[in-house]
Amino acid sequence: MQSHDLLIVGAGLAGMRAALEGVKAGIDVAIVTKIHPLRSHSCAAQGGINAAINPQDSRNSHAYDTVKGADYIGDEDAIELMCDEAPEAILEMDRMGTPFSRIEGGLIAQRAFGGASFNRTCYAADRTGQVLLHTLWEQLVKARVKVYEECSVMRLVTDAEQAIAGVVAYDIKTGAVFPLRAKAVLMATGGYGRVFLSNTNATTNTGDGMALALRAGAPLADMEFVQFHPTGLRTSGVLVTEGARGEGGFLINALGERFMSRYAPNKLELASRDVVSRAEQTEIIEGRGKDGAIFLDLRHLGADKILDRLPQIRQLSLDLEGVDAIHAPIPVRPTAHYSMGGIRTDKFGASPLHGLFAAGEAACVSVHGANRLGGNSLLDTIVFGKITGRHCAGFVKGESLRDFPASEVAAVKSNLTALKARTNQGVRPIALHHRMAEGMNLHCGVFRTPEGMRAGVESIPSLREDYQKIHLDDHSDDFNIDLLRAVELGHLIDLAECILRGALAREESRGAHSRTDFPERDDANWRQHTLSHWDAAQGIVTLSRDAVRTVGKSDYTPKVRTY
Amino acid sequence: MSENHYTFRIQRNRKAADGRIDSRWVEYPVSATPTTTVLTLLEEIKGEQDGSLTFRQSCRSAICGSCAMKIGGRTRLACKTHVESVAHNGVVEIAPQANQPVLKDLAIDIGPFFTRIHAIRPYLEDGPDTDLVLEQSAYDQVNHVTQCILCGSCYSDCVMAEVSQEFIGPAALAKAFRFVSDPREGQKERRLEQLSHPHMMWTCARCAMCVESCPKDVKPMEAIVKLRTRGIAKGLKDGPGPKHALAFHHDIQKAGSLNEFTLMMRTVGILGTLEELGTAFHLMKKGKVPSPLPHKSKGLEELAKIYEILEEHPLDVETKAKEVVPE
Repeated sequence: MQSHDLLIVGAGLAGMRAALEGVKAGIDVAIVTKIHPLRSHSCAAQGGINAAINPQDSRNSHAYDTVKGADYIGDEDAIELMCDEAPEAILEMDRMGTPFSRIEGGLIAQRAFGGASFNRTCYAADRTGQVLLHTLWEQLVKARVKVYEECSVMRLVTDAEQAIAGVVAYDIKTGAVFPLRAKAVLMATGGYGRVFLSNTNATTNTGDGMALALRAGAPLADMEFVQFHPTGLRTSGVLVTEGARGEGGFLINALGERFMSRYAPNKLELASRDVVSRAEQTEIIEGRGKDGAIFLDLRHLGADKILDRLPQIRQLSLDLEGVDAIHAPIPVRPTAHYSMGGIRTDKFGASPLHGLFAAGEAACVSVHGANRLGGNSLLDTIVFGKITGRHCAGFVKGESLRDFPASEVAAVKSNLTALKARTNQGVRPIALHHRMAEGMNLHCGVFRTPEGMRAGVESIPSLREDYQKIHLDDHSDDFNIDLLRAVELGHLIDLAECILRGALAREESRGAHSRTDFPERDDANWRQHTLSHWDAAQGIVTLSRDAVRTVGKSDYTPKVRTY
Repeated sequence: MSENHYTFRIQRNRKAADGRIDSRWVEYPVSATPTTTVLTLLEEIKGEQDGSLTFRQSCRSAICGSCAMKIGGRTRLACKTHVESVAHNGVVEIAPQANQPVLKDLAIDIGPFFTRIHAIRPYLEDGPDTDLVLEQSAYDQVNHVTQCILCGSCYSDCVMAEVSQEFIGPAALAKAFRFVSDPREGQKERRLEQLSHPHMMWTCARCAMCVESCPKDVKPMEAIVKLRTRGIAKGLKDGPGPKHALAFHHDIQKAGSLNEFTLMMRTVGILGTLEELGTAFHLMKKGKVPSPLPHKSKGLEELAKIYEILEEHPLDVETKAKEVVPE
């Protein structure tokens, strides 16, 4: 049986950054990833990464903006740690070879982003995620890290003492099911955009790590906080960076009005994302949109600036909407984008489950609270990838491999065999996915009604029932994507239940969670995290609460949040 | 926009018991507006017609590089290709990438492609230990090639890869140029020396297929030409590749046209020329052998001026990037 000190699931920015730290500490580290590392969705991040590297900026200011952006439910110890570590983390990436854009004088260029009181978003044109991802992959190749490529994790395995023993993996290329033992497992599997029908995410973003952790007994936190990005393309939902507004782009409605002045008189288009998305949704609901969208207008920036700073955005708009941003406004709308929630961890990435760690979007550390600031997600991956990787290396030194129950592999094999052997009972996986994801858009979107959320929660048992009826067309062993997607759909349904139950329980409006029946923030009762647990006996998600980790600074005392 | 009817003619590939690939073409009808992407329709076919249809995809936005496949005879990213642009009489023909082993349907084994990328040592070597302050234009050359997402389109369409599996290929060479042109790289000369070996930068036939097929406008061939220029500048002039290039350069500058009669001799030497005698006789029979007598073209003064201007103001015609790298 293959074994490693540390097994990292996922090869995006967080996973690869953690792996490098493990190598540096001299432990045996391996990565399992269902897609080649360079296909990871970190590559789709466009606008940039925040760090107070300008002497006129400060880490305190970055931390304050983040606490406020999070609507006072972020864990302050983790936020301060992230903002403190940010400049060095960026400079490390620079030294590894990331070609950050430069300003005159040669320093790393920074642009304005939403909710920030300083232009502190470092960037490489509008493909910052791609160059960071390629840089880390280059370092991964250099460090000769073992990567189980195109292998999906099917189960997180614990021993009799509820400590991590390893994972059961599935080699997509061959169909082989095999155990991987490890002293620690780090989930860096990213988000679950596919829970929503309209989303900015890759189709591979199915929240596998969160769902596996939940089923293994680790709590997820704050799953009701789903970020709707203000500028997803109307038709496909594909992302248009906040950097487009950072470079001076306007949001206009169908009447041509720059409507943000009504909602955020000071920061306008650069208010935080929850505020901008609500403003857009209000314009659309009140009839000032067109075909369900409003518009991002870049025309006044001129062709040179668009081609220099936002070349990819222009191309994507051409390819996917048939609109040339140099000559016409781009139709956009609020689109499910990012999960503030995830596997609950402390500021070192450790979950309550012994030996399980998480970093990046899969984790809820929580630095993003109820609303993430643009430019803080790339930062989260790099900083907490590093911190958690280092912490894991320390952890495994005091651990030995746990007993790995052989029955776990057999159970996965028999599940997969049964799934493949199902006869046609009339439910196609895509139809079930569509029903679930459309329901999530409808019932748990930018504005949430009590009836909608209740309808959503009530739909879960029938989704689970029909999940038992889906059947596959592909019965082969090798490269069976049909099978993989069926497994992923199971994960999505678990996560949808966490999101819906969390949303219905949280009787207030905070950050991205906006209820029509409780429009105000309620700090007295709800300045707390929601925890989701899997109740295996009942087969449902149950909830509890967890305190926000505060550091006692008066600056961080909740106040009315305006932009 | 109204919907058109299209027929997706897809090459379905299955591994047989003996390990060989069974290949057949299957047609699927779809309806779509002309600007619907091919990936959207592949997903529709997989979801609603045949779940066993297998292909890679992920980001839907031309940045992850998963969905490169042969569409209408050329390798393209399915996620950014409009169906109408690749339909011939309503038929869209789709096959896996070429020059690489097929796993199943449209999915290829990406291993051999990445082995080539690994071979050029794809990481900054001896990079700076201190924080660097760089010219604003320091990455003008780097930026062009770092747009590469390693989707493999160029390798799939590369005519040299088709005839020689040993050729390292355009993507790997573009990646190599990414480091050779980086002001922070510490091993430029060693890289250029290795790139001068057989099957590396001098094997490219400069057919520009990679420039045509690249979905990210990386222009790998331009990078290869720049690598060659730098190699020669570093004195790496051995081998038929650089000799051929130098002979070409010499003839054009001096006479305005090639002396093809002696070009072969200057490229591969006397022994190499003797080996090619068969080809020469063949050409002679067809009347394709040029006059052995050297001749000069008219207007050589103008040519001399063009050379002069270009040498004084070197310009990267394709990328418009300035040469700023301290060599």
